[in-house]
Amino acid sequence: MRGVPSGVDEEDRLDAEQAKHVIRRAAQMMQPYRSKVRLAVGFIALYTASILAGPYLVKWAIDKSLKPGYDALQRGDGLPDDVFRVLNTTIGLYVVVAIVAYFAQRMAIMTLARVGENFLRDLRTRVFAHLQRLSMPFYDREKAGVIISRMTSDIDTMQELVQQGLMNFVSAALLLVFALGMLTLVSWQLMLVCALIVPVVVVASIKFQRDSNRAYLTVRDRIGNTLSGLQEGIAGVRVIQAYGRQEIQTGRFATGNRELYEAHMDSVRVQSWYVPIIEFAGHFTTAAAIGVGGYMVTEDIVTTGTVAFFVLTLSNLFEPIQQLSQLFNQLQSAGAALQKIFVLLDTDVDVSERPGAVDLPPTGDIEVRDVVFRYSSGGDTVLAGVNLTIAEGERLALVGPTGAGKSTLAKLIARMYDPVEGTVSLGGVNLRDATLRSLRQRVVVVPQEGFLFHGTIRDNIRLVRPEASPADVNAALDALGLRERFEELEDGLETEVNERGSRLSAGEKQLVSLARAALVDPAVLVLDEATSSLDPGTEQLIESALEVLMDGRTVIVIAHRLSTSERADRVGVVTEGTLRELGTHDDLVAAGGHYAALYATWTGGLTSAS
Amino acid sequence: MLRERVSEQRKGIAVGVLVGLMWTAGKVTVPWVVKQGIDNGIEVDPPDLGSIRLWGLMILAAGTVSAGFAGARRYMAFREARFAEATLRDQIFAQIQRLHFAYHDHTQAGQLMSRGATDLQQVQAFVVMIPMTISNAMTVIAVTVLLVLLDPILTLFALGALPLVNIMGKRFSTRLFPSVMGIQEESAQLAAVVDETVSGIRVVKGFGAEDAQAARLKTEADDVFGMAMDASRTRATYLPAIELIPNIGLIAVLAYGGHQILSGELTLGTLVSFNLYVVLLIQPLRMLGMIIAQAQRAAAAADRVAEVLSTAPRIADPAHPTPLPSKGPGLGHVTFEGVHFSYSDGTKVLDGLDLDISAGESITLVGATGSGKSTVARLIPRFYDVRQGRVLLDGVDVRQAPLTELRRSVGIVFEETFLFSDTIGANIAFADPDAPREQIERAARLSGAHDFIVDLPDGYATEIGERGFSLSGGQRQRIAIARAILADPRVLILDDATSSVDPTKEHEIRDALGEVMEGRTTIVIAHRPATIALADRVVLLDRGRIAAEGTHDELLATNAAYRQVLAAIDRAGELPEEVRL
Repeated sequence: MRGVPSGVDEEDRLDAEQAKHVIRRAAQMMQPYRSKVRLAVGFIALYTASILAGPYLVKWAIDKSLKPGYDALQRGDGLPDDVFRVLNTTIGLYVVVAIVAYFAQRMAIMTLARVGENFLRDLRTRVFAHLQRLSMPFYDREKAGVIISRMTSDIDTMQELVQQGLMNFVSAALLLVFALGMLTLVSWQLMLVCALIVPVVVVASIKFQRDSNRAYLTVRDRIGNTLSGLQEGIAGVRVIQAYGRQEIQTGRFATGNRELYEAHMDSVRVQSWYVPIIEFAGHFTTAAAIGVGGYMVTEDIVTTGTVAFFVLTLSNLFEPIQQLSQLFNQLQSAGAALQKIFVLLDTDVDVSERPGAVDLPPTGDIEVRDVVFRYSSGGDTVLAGVNLTIAEGERLALVGPTGAGKSTLAKLIARMYDPVEGTVSLGGVNLRDATLRSLRQRVVVVPQEGFLFHGTIRDNIRLVRPEASPADVNAALDALGLRERFEELEDGLETEVNERGSRLSAGEKQLVSLARAALVDPAVLVLDEATSSLDPGTEQLIESALEVLMDGRTVIVIAHRLSTSERADRVGVVTEGTLRELGTHDDLVAAGGHYAALYATWTGGLTSAS
Repeated sequence: MLRERVSEQRKGIAVGVLVGLMWTAGKVTVPWVVKQGIDNGIEVDPPDLGSIRLWGLMILAAGTVSAGFAGARRYMAFREARFAEATLRDQIFAQIQRLHFAYHDHTQAGQLMSRGATDLQQVQAFVVMIPMTISNAMTVIAVTVLLVLLDPILTLFALGALPLVNIMGKRFSTRLFPSVMGIQEESAQLAAVVDETVSGIRVVKGFGAEDAQAARLKTEADDVFGMAMDASRTRATYLPAIELIPNIGLIAVLAYGGHQILSGELTLGTLVSFNLYVVLLIQPLRMLGMIIAQAQRAAAAADRVAEVLSTAPRIADPAHPTPLPSKGPGLGHVTFEGVHFSYSDGTKVLDGLDLDISAGESITLVGATGSGKSTVARLIPRFYDVRQGRVLLDGVDVRQAPLTELRRSVGIVFEETFLFSDTIGANIAFADPDAPREQIERAARLSGAHDFIVDLPDGYATEIGERGFSLSGGQRQRIAIARAILADPRVLILDDATSSVDPTKEHEIRDALGEVMEGRTTIVIAHRPATIALADRVVLLDRGRIAAEGTHDELLATNAAYRQVLAAIDRAGELPEEVRL
């Protein structure tokens, strides 16, 4: 439910210092558009001035032409010479003003939109690029929802400002300044009288701005509640009906919905007292212009044209004020959003590319030396001095209890993290000295669950190499023996996978993931084996595809099944952050250590289960 | 539907209209008094101070009326509109809860969501407009009449171009709407890319897909940019034009009116008041243009809402329900008699199924995908009606039983677990929100959930769901089983309910389930041999009929088809995770 006016949370509200900082930094980002910003402001100023020029021309016409002519007619004298000339000149000028206003407004809207939208587009790509550069420790630390909201609701807040608010805000502010200036210049005496209402308007506007901010926040909050209640009622309708809870759920929803109604009404009430005050202010100044201005005319302090000028200008001045106080909320929440985005942009990239980094050689021999690792400084030591050499083309299975460090070790080899101490090198090059691009080409991590992105199956397979031809994709699928499996589907490889692949089974997703890896053709493959069984039917296919994929590559597999470790060249047993045992399956079973014990439990369990 | 809503709230709306008319009266009076002040106070010779003061006070009075009713008009209009919105949303929710499974099977959740959200917003915006529109229309009429009385020709000059404001206003609104929706849509697509990149960051980094994702985001950002510029172009085209039109009127007033004054046909006050009236009419005319566009959208939205509300729930209480027998031993006797069933898409699922499950018996349904296992489970609590034949619970055709009672008697645990955003305790006590703590804990123990629940930060009071703690698939399934156990149904159906439970934990549940199944009719749909072996009897389904039945061992020994189905479930060699080295 869009269209809700923005509000800003108390905790997000920027203080003067922060606001200055945000403005300075935003100005910096606007640097490339500086001349366009000036142009936009210029157009808005021109447009605003032309709004005021109309009433001024009317004043001019009255004072210089209509009033003298009118008076002359009243007295029965002949019309003064130049009244028609002045009147016609004024009309001509008015035509010019109207045309200028038309084009200035048009140009202002377009220029401002171009600047604003370009700024937002840059911001989006920039924040996203930074998000992708940020490394795993960041993603471990922050909640996904919060990270996502920087790119969505925060930037959307600014989008709304650019689309609707900014032009109005600038022109309303300028109009206010220009109008007050002109009114004072024309007659400071009458202005003084009209200004009596100003304190009321200011106090009311400040109170309104505060109250409406609070009211909008409540509305926003309750809309969220109501929508998630509705969503839950739809998604959970089967369970609700199965338990015959329809009435209770409906009652609960109604309570939340009622609260939303109350919140809406609260916000309406805030508007309902403010709107009359603003409208009254307009009428008050009109009354003052006629009542007091009329008296001043008789005393020759002002002219009739001036009274008309005041009446015409002031009756339209207060609506912009009302807009200003609403737009101020919008501006504040956009500022708060920008501040959060800057914080994100300032977050350091932990795993970064060193200047002068080199490409990794196309080999698959790995050396892990004296590696110590903790997820956070001061946290538990996850790996405490691991040494390991893996030969090119070797298949190593890592086994061990959950949390012992086997996945961490595998992640360090793919440089998802940097070790706290020690080094990991591939083909003799320390991963810290390698370019990230070459690293991702040499080392591919296939996670437990096949994760699919929005798009077709083909798009998902060539995720990393979008330029891959259909023939390349087919070749990769053929090699793994998977092409038939996907071509069987109604739309074959063009099948759209929606909502994270919900149309494919877990096994099928894994198959896509394997094909994706095959297309990258890495030297090193890090596999995280699935813990639970996948759907029957694809299991076999996954097995055989994996065999092909692993062939000729260095493979590190985080094994959850002993059948996998049985088939590996060597098995590493990781417990409590150390590599406790390392050797072939047979050697380790024969050695009678932890692995042997594990193996015994498994074979024992297998016979008792069947 | 919209008409019904309006007629039900006609009192409030009528008051809104009345208040709006008062506002009109005040608003229209002010410029007229200004004219009087100028002509009869300032411009009389000698100036009449008393009269100037009087007209000034009159303006103040009319202005106060106008201002006061401006607030009231707004309040009344929004009150009725928000009330209509809230009432309709309640109705939609209740209706969604009443509608049958088959309806939900072929209706996307997103569609129902937009009925209850964006569509109602359109309706709301329309209801707001009703009193506003009437008072705006009255303003236009009143001003026109007044001006014609003052000077018909000048009126023509002043207002002649103004209908264009109305037309342009409507066009602007119609043209802008798709772009504004487009921005939202494109932003949503961009959000989807961000969402999947962040959720799948391990994959993005594992495969090195950063550049590919950046390219996709660039495309989406370009699309948002394109739509936003479209919207801006529409604004740039219409807004200046809409503001230009009244300027034409004002120039015409000055030109014609000015010359009229100089020829003694018009007063200064009339000229000024004409100026004021032209400006006064801009807003009402723009809003009248908008309402036409808004009404079209609201009508379409109201149609969609009405479609949901008017769908008759196909599964409802019978006119004369037969209560289920509630006393006596041996409750939970389930019988399928020659049941034929197909889903609304036409796939035939059950083909004359006969099945008798004695009270207290436990059976396992085994069969390939599409053999009809889950359908059997869904017919007993009458989620769907059979096409032919009947399903009986304790001798009563389920179509004759009171629906709530039937559903309470049959507990079903689905494969896809749905938990509510609430505490774990409340989720388990779903069937009986007042269940005492001991009962909740007992149910959790029996489903093997108690141990991990007490390890959670707030135990049973831990909030789960969207904004709370996230649980693993297996943990969720165990909570769902506890929820069913607490309901204490006479028939318990577990439809692949332990598929995500860690295989090594499953045996714990199996042991506990033995206790739950004791004396209770239980139907288990399962893949894992150990779970299958739990039941008294195994029924092998094939294409909607019973292919074989007997104990697990009997079937294993004698039935080739059974062995085949089991063989497809290859799960040899899963490594027990908690075997600590």
